[in-house]
Amino acid sequence: MKKLTYFPGCSAHGTSEEFDSTLKLVLKTLDVELEDIPDWNCCGATSAHVMTENLAYALPLRNLVLAEKLPHTTMGIACASCYQRMKVTKVHMDENPELAAKINSTIVEEGHYQGKVDVKSMLQYAYEDIGLEAIRSKVTSPLTGLKVACYYGCLLTRPKKITQFDSPEFPMSMDRICEALGATATEFDYKTECCGASFSISNTEVVESLSGKILEMAQESGAHAIVVACPLCQSNLDMRQPDIEKKSGRKYGIPVFYFTQLMALAFGHPREKLKFPKHIVPVEGALSNIGKAEPAPEKIKKPTKAVEAESEVE
Amino acid sequence: MARVGVFVCFCGANIADYVDVPQVVEEVKKIREVKYAVEYKYMCSDPGQQMIRDAIVNNRLTSVVVAACSPRMHEKTFRKALSDAGMNPYLLEVANIREHSSWVHQKDKKAATEKAMDLCRMAVAKSIANEQLFEISVPVTKRALVIGGGIAGIQAALDIADARIPVVLVEKSPSIGGKMAQLDETFPTLDCSQCILTPKMVDVASHPFIELIPYSEVLELQGFVGNYKAKIRKKASYVNFKTCTGCGACWQKCPVKVPNEYNMGLDKRRAIYTPFPQAVPNKPVIDAEHCTMLQKGKCGICAKVCQPGAIDYTMQDEVIEREIGAVVVATGYDLWDPKPYEEYGVGRFKDIITSLEFERMVSANGPTNGVPVRPSDGKVPKNVVFIKCIGSRDEAKGIEYCSKICCMYTTKHTILLHHKVHDSHSYVFYMDIRAAGKGYEEFVHKAQVDTHATYLRGRVSKIYKKGDKLMVRGEDAQIGQVVEVEADLVVLATAVTSPHDNPELARLLGISYDKHGFLSEAHPKLRPVETAKAGIFLAGCTQAPKDIPETVAQASACAAKVCGLFAGDTLKKDPMISTVNTEFCSGCQNCVNVCPYGAIVTDEVPFGHGSKEMRTVAKINEGVCQGCGSCVAICRSMAINLAGFTDPQIINEIVSI
Amino acid sequence: MITLGTKGKNTFLEAVGRKSGANVLDCYQCGKCVSTCPVSQYMDFPPREIMQMIKLNLRDEAYMANSHWFCLTCSACSGRCPREIDIPAVMEAVRHLAIEENYVNDSKKVKEIRKFHEIFLDMVKRYGRNYELRMMAEFNIRTRNLFKDMHLAPKALAKGKIPLGVKPLKSAQAIKRMYDVAEKLEKNK
Repeated sequence: MKKLTYFPGCSAHGTSEEFDSTLKLVLKTLDVELEDIPDWNCCGATSAHVMTENLAYALPLRNLVLAEKLPHTTMGIACASCYQRMKVTKVHMDENPELAAKINSTIVEEGHYQGKVDVKSMLQYAYEDIGLEAIRSKVTSPLTGLKVACYYGCLLTRPKKITQFDSPEFPMSMDRICEALGATATEFDYKTECCGASFSISNTEVVESLSGKILEMAQESGAHAIVVACPLCQSNLDMRQPDIEKKSGRKYGIPVFYFTQLMALAFGHPREKLKFPKHIVPVEGALSNIGKAEPAPEKIKKPTKAVEAESEVE
Repeated sequence: MARVGVFVCFCGANIADYVDVPQVVEEVKKIREVKYAVEYKYMCSDPGQQMIRDAIVNNRLTSVVVAACSPRMHEKTFRKALSDAGMNPYLLEVANIREHSSWVHQKDKKAATEKAMDLCRMAVAKSIANEQLFEISVPVTKRALVIGGGIAGIQAALDIADARIPVVLVEKSPSIGGKMAQLDETFPTLDCSQCILTPKMVDVASHPFIELIPYSEVLELQGFVGNYKAKIRKKASYVNFKTCTGCGACWQKCPVKVPNEYNMGLDKRRAIYTPFPQAVPNKPVIDAEHCTMLQKGKCGICAKVCQPGAIDYTMQDEVIEREIGAVVVATGYDLWDPKPYEEYGVGRFKDIITSLEFERMVSANGPTNGVPVRPSDGKVPKNVVFIKCIGSRDEAKGIEYCSKICCMYTTKHTILLHHKVHDSHSYVFYMDIRAAGKGYEEFVHKAQVDTHATYLRGRVSKIYKKGDKLMVRGEDAQIGQVVEVEADLVVLATAVTSPHDNPELARLLGISYDKHGFLSEAHPKLRPVETAKAGIFLAGCTQAPKDIPETVAQASACAAKVCGLFAGDTLKKDPMISTVNTEFCSGCQNCVNVCPYGAIVTDEVPFGHGSKEMRTVAKINEGVCQGCGSCVAICRSMAINLAGFTDPQIINEIVSI
Repeated sequence: MITLGTKGKNTFLEAVGRKSGANVLDCYQCGKCVSTCPVSQYMDFPPREIMQMIKLNLRDEAYMANSHWFCLTCSACSGRCPREIDIPAVMEAVRHLAIEENYVNDSKKVKEIRKFHEIFLDMVKRYGRNYELRMMAEFNIRTRNLFKDMHLAPKALAKGKIPLGVKPLKSAQAIKRMYDVAEKLEKNK
């Protein structure tokens, strides 16, 4: 039984509730228990660091200090944006003890920061700590036939110095997890291109343009669906998809799943628990590909003329 | 009675601004043995040296102290002044009051002057104890070893051999020619590379003074300048070169196919092969790793079809020895693997190739009949994007230096593409265009006008696939627009790196290399072809990236150095070597183990006068000793002294402070 | 036209270097950041030009640019910069300096972006956690665009994507206190 500290983040009960609930479902199957940080506060997300300096560290630092009161050595975070803010704060506080002391002593009162707890995104935890073997072993209904484009967004693997996880340009962790579930990950060149993130509300045209390009590339790669590990990405690609279709004149109809939803599906959890009705873009079209047989590859004709042993040695 | 002359230099303002030179002269005159002391602005000048010569004669001096700059600058000059005046040059002592005083204590003139006085006192005390020493003559083996058979090694070998000095040329691949043999045309003349290179290769093979040892590696180098001994391993080729006629029947019938290194893996060669048609020597070798006969004992087709019966599967590696006087290292370069550029899809997209792969494609003797093709579908590309600085000038993913040749060869590639595919279009993404050589700027200018190539200033940020094309995205900083080029083929100009086995070779030879593996020259400006080890010289890209004209110039320079070294019948050796006082030697042999040159051996001497019993002592070979002083330091009986730095001399110095 | 050599020491470069820790002088204007940046086309001055402006001590021009307001801190640029310059940190430094000196771009779009951030921070100040629904409503009101995203509202609300209320922190007061202390710290700089 593995245990870890959990930071839910503001959207866990709101716009990304399905991420939170399916995460808890699959972790139960994988024998991992989450313990919420009591009375956690908003990490400040983008707005805090855009507008302020000290507060931008203080809000996550309070959570880090509260996490140290729990006995677990690792904190898992589902939302990529919260993960980035917490990890950046941890790294900067660890590297700059003077600054840490200043913020700890003035703004954050809940305790003395020691830097004991490791911060990981749930994707990282699933890939590194749980591992592909364990995930594969729990699959009862493989997703064979489903082609997915794994979209990581900016904050899970970048900047390399902060996340130290997977590749900042062409990561493969989510792809490998999806393949362990039986799905096929397509060769998708826009894995880490920004979707527009926090401009969802204040600068929607930018999101429509950037997310539109991601949808286009996913479609071109032959994917039935996109898989994500970030609530903001999911929202931009899913909720805004109808508007994008209207403005670009291109039809997509590509549902956007959280990787935990696909894991839960492959682990055999009941459909009702997967929260598919929450999606704006309907999911059934893509999911109907599961179990469909792939057309047999063309047979290569063997040469009829007998030739001397043409052994190709590489 | 010692009569010491002291000459204190102003060195212009270098010393005089911080050290009170007249005061130093006054102080030094107080020493009993100093019979003559004077100051002068520039001791190293002609008048300065004349002063020293006159003073020696007129004052019957027995030794000389020059207080000036570091002995590394002018010790030789002053020694010559002494010998011109009839005094043994080793009676000179140099007090370094510049690097050791005026230059490092600029903030405290008083202290700098006092230190200068102390340094002079020490030098005077030492010069009194100095003894006359005489240069030693060592024999010199007039044979050069050239390691590497590319254009650098070939040129050096030919120049040395033309001076009627025997050369041993060792090359690790089956043929000489190096990278230049893989090029199609060379900038800025667009000469056919093979056409200008092969005559030189043939010259090497037929030169009476060159012993060409192909398919071999240097295993060991012992000794010192003029007196090296090299061990060379000749790899088994399994083909008797004397009986082989080079007819080619063997490799036409060989069933095994292996990626062809000469064509950068774009096509295949056989297990028995010559690397390219113009190879010198034009005799095949068997690649033991892939030959089914040598690996499994099956096949043997080549032996069956060989008319002269030149195949010999039982051949073994052979180690040979050569006595050498000087070595020229010309091991060339490697190219950087662009794998770290994940944003370009390197390794994922077939239609991204490196510059040398492109060069092979456009070569007439290449894998695609001299026409560039897309590796994915074999079609001839129309839009080709060339990206420069792949790995170069990139501290994040590659190396920080500039590889020097890529700007020029990329321009050359746009010209070659234009010649081969008339309706093609080149796009070049660049940061700068470095065209500093003779005729280079004109070459680039003409190319741009003739080919209409589009030059875009900006590093490429991403390459992605769109259908069967590659989209190459970068900023054109000159119009401030992000552009995406729809490319059929992308060519990466990868960085020039040192050969991967340079560090190993450097250790073997006892020379140094920098953090990038390039072999270190003795001085970057004034001694670019010498190394810190006497008798070992560097030519070509093994020292730093450079183009062919510079390589050839450097190779000829090495040859000149070698000829200079071999000009006399003997080499004059510094007499500052160690000797063993056998009366104190206990025979512990610590010195034998610590000597880096193997100059110390054991000897037997009688226990006492007339005694029949013998005891072991150490003996130093004066021809081999380089005067490093390691034995002096380790001898616990204080039995060894280094001439010019004996214990009494040094103790004199210390006591005088 | 810009006249150079009249402002003396480049204090702007020093200030940005101190705040960001980045090696601005290393920038050799290769432009990789510009074609990497997903929003460079929306900026008046793409990242490369902001670097040059800092080197030229063009403080006011840099402050008034909208570039650092469009920067998403996606770190794609710094990941590819061959000189390993932390470009998002530079953007952030310029933005914070501009805010401190109250010398900020006043175009409609930048005003909207700033309003969004201010409202978000206000929600967290009040409740300790973000109150998404109220935040979106306030944004629409304050940007005088009442019906923005309204067409999405019915579906989103029906699917329960946006909770109607918020569960404030038990220690909501503690958060408020943090804000006040942070503000004081900024003022005392």
